[in-house]
Amino acid sequence: MTDRFIPARRRVLSAAAGSAVLGVGLPSFAQAKEFKIGFFIALSGPAALFGPTQRACADLAAEKINKAGGILGRPVKLLFTDAGGPPAETAKSAVRLMLEDKVDLLIGSHDSATREANIATIKSKTPYIYSPVYEGGECSPNVYCLGETPPQQAQPAIEFFAKEKKAKTFYLIGDDYVWPRKSNEQVKKFVAQFGGKVSGEEYVPFGAPNKFEEAVTRIKGAKPDAVVSTLVGADNVNFNRTFAGFGLDKSIARMALLLEENTLLGIGPENSANLYSCMGYFANNSADAPKSFKAEYMARYGDKAPQLSTIGADCYAALNLAKALFDKAGAGASSAKLMAASEGLAFDAPSGRVTMRGRQVDKDMYLAQCNGTNFEVIKTIKGVHSGTACKA
Amino acid sequence: MESVLVAQALNALFAVAVLALIALGLAVVFGLLGVLNLAHGELVMVGAYCAYVAQTHGWPFVAALPLAIAVCGVLGLVVERWLVRPLYHRPFDTLVVTWGLSLLLRKCAEALFGLGYQSINEPLGGTLDVLGATYPRYRLLLIAISIVVLGALLLWYGRSRTGTRIQAMVDNPDLARALGIRVGRFAAATFVAGTCLAGLAGVLIAPLVPVQPFMGLDHVLMSFFVLVVGGLGSTAGLLTGSAVIGGVNSVVSAVSDSTGGYFCVLVLAILFLWLRPSGIHARR
Repeated sequence: MTDRFIPARRRVLSAAAGSAVLGVGLPSFAQAKEFKIGFFIALSGPAALFGPTQRACADLAAEKINKAGGILGRPVKLLFTDAGGPPAETAKSAVRLMLEDKVDLLIGSHDSATREANIATIKSKTPYIYSPVYEGGECSPNVYCLGETPPQQAQPAIEFFAKEKKAKTFYLIGDDYVWPRKSNEQVKKFVAQFGGKVSGEEYVPFGAPNKFEEAVTRIKGAKPDAVVSTLVGADNVNFNRTFAGFGLDKSIARMALLLEENTLLGIGPENSANLYSCMGYFANNSADAPKSFKAEYMARYGDKAPQLSTIGADCYAALNLAKALFDKAGAGASSAKLMAASEGLAFDAPSGRVTMRGRQVDKDMYLAQCNGTNFEVIKTIKGVHSGTACKA
Repeated sequence: MESVLVAQALNALFAVAVLALIALGLAVVFGLLGVLNLAHGELVMVGAYCAYVAQTHGWPFVAALPLAIAVCGVLGLVVERWLVRPLYHRPFDTLVVTWGLSLLLRKCAEALFGLGYQSINEPLGGTLDVLGATYPRYRLLLIAISIVVLGALLLWYGRSRTGTRIQAMVDNPDLARALGIRVGRFAAATFVAGTCLAGLAGVLIAPLVPVQPFMGLDHVLMSFFVLVVGGLGSTAGLLTGSAVIGGVNSVVSAVSDSTGGYFCVLVLAILFLWLRPSGIHARR
């Protein structure tokens, strides 16, 4: 909230200073025009929790890209901009980035309501990469989506609940905005597909001081076999703590569509029994690619490194996608050319090499059960399609 | 079905009890001194972090209570002496000052503990059967604590000499001063009592919520609604306000959903501000 009042120019200045430091020792860049990227992260508001890791992951990727010659031979400069306020405020910043800073690309790691406001403002004039978990289906021109979608997260998880946990009834609870509602439309299809029934669906106001005793009591009365949560951040923590406090964790399985390392730390080891998450990246994944990414991240930031999670990992992937995309399309490429270049484009994400299809990413998904405040991967599902295929 | 009804009734009772506990500190400071402390929620947050500090040091949960009294007491003393005292009778200025204080406290918490959610273990885990409904034991304990604290304060304020002196100070500070009551010192003590109560409430709710620098915002809002509805300066006002706001929120949330509950709270607050700005129990 407070950061919104700091003149944006000053933030841009500090980012520029950071890049200047990075630029030392790269004399070959001295003449090249910078490749400017407006990078939306949460610097204020409740999602500011993710800000430090979003920034750290993006910086790490930018440093690597600059060492390898930049994008189109130009050094990358990141202009971090706050997306933690109301969507309309962020959209205003997008205008400023486009007109004043003349950015070559916009990258966003924020909620879907802000994405919709941004897309309506940018009108495909500047390429826009949207990195986090989302509801799928975004096909606006010149927009490229990286995050996990319900067909990637919910479908495998509900299949697991239905087949291996013999779950028949599902209860859906979420925050009241576009991501939970659109995700749940798809969740309901998957539940029906695997022969289950939705026994209840409810939403809590987004950003209000929510408490969950009443909802948990209602869920107890409905006696579902499983609960699917599309609550975010503090609401997700609060709900899961209340749920376990009422002793329902023993009899009812839970899965949440945005359950990553930070949220699980808040839920706490006492409240995470019978809780599942399905993501494209977990920080403790021991496969080669995520392991070496984590080592690199820890080496760069040391003990004080912000907690890694899929949110930051996708920021890192977004910059790698940017490099691959622009280098393939060539300098001065039109939006049509960029969109064509994105089809079948392979690039490195922290979880390994991924491929863009229909301006979305097919990926390996990991279904994990929470053990204390750790995710234990119990199932790996290879190459899951995003469920969305936009025209190139 | 019956057990669900009992549980929802307990939920309403719990909502009212916790809201009264959290609003108490704000009610003391706002009702008696006329200072609307916008940093109240942040003092609740400081209390919650005291519980976190106690946990990370391996101290028992109850050790967080004296810690919160110490930390919030010192904070209260300093803030009263250097920020609030020069601004008594300038309500708008105190509003701005305490708002600034809330920003500062939030940033301090961020610098000390980071933005991440902290999880505090429940000191009393498990559930208890109440009339067929299984209810978490810690929440039942909180209801009991809230009743005891509010009851004791009500008795003390009504019967003790100090309570009478505070009432004298509130009603007519000049006359009270003429009678030899040290008004300045009483005002400081009242303010510190308010900040300590906020800290204690923070410790008590810490095991139930995500502890993070932003948590105070939610609590100051609901506490403010309590005072708007209940009216200032009396325990009856605090209790009525908590019962109306907490009760309506909980019952409507139980019958329909949280959106309905929150909607009714907002409508109530607006109606009261509009039609009965001094609340149900208006001071003369």
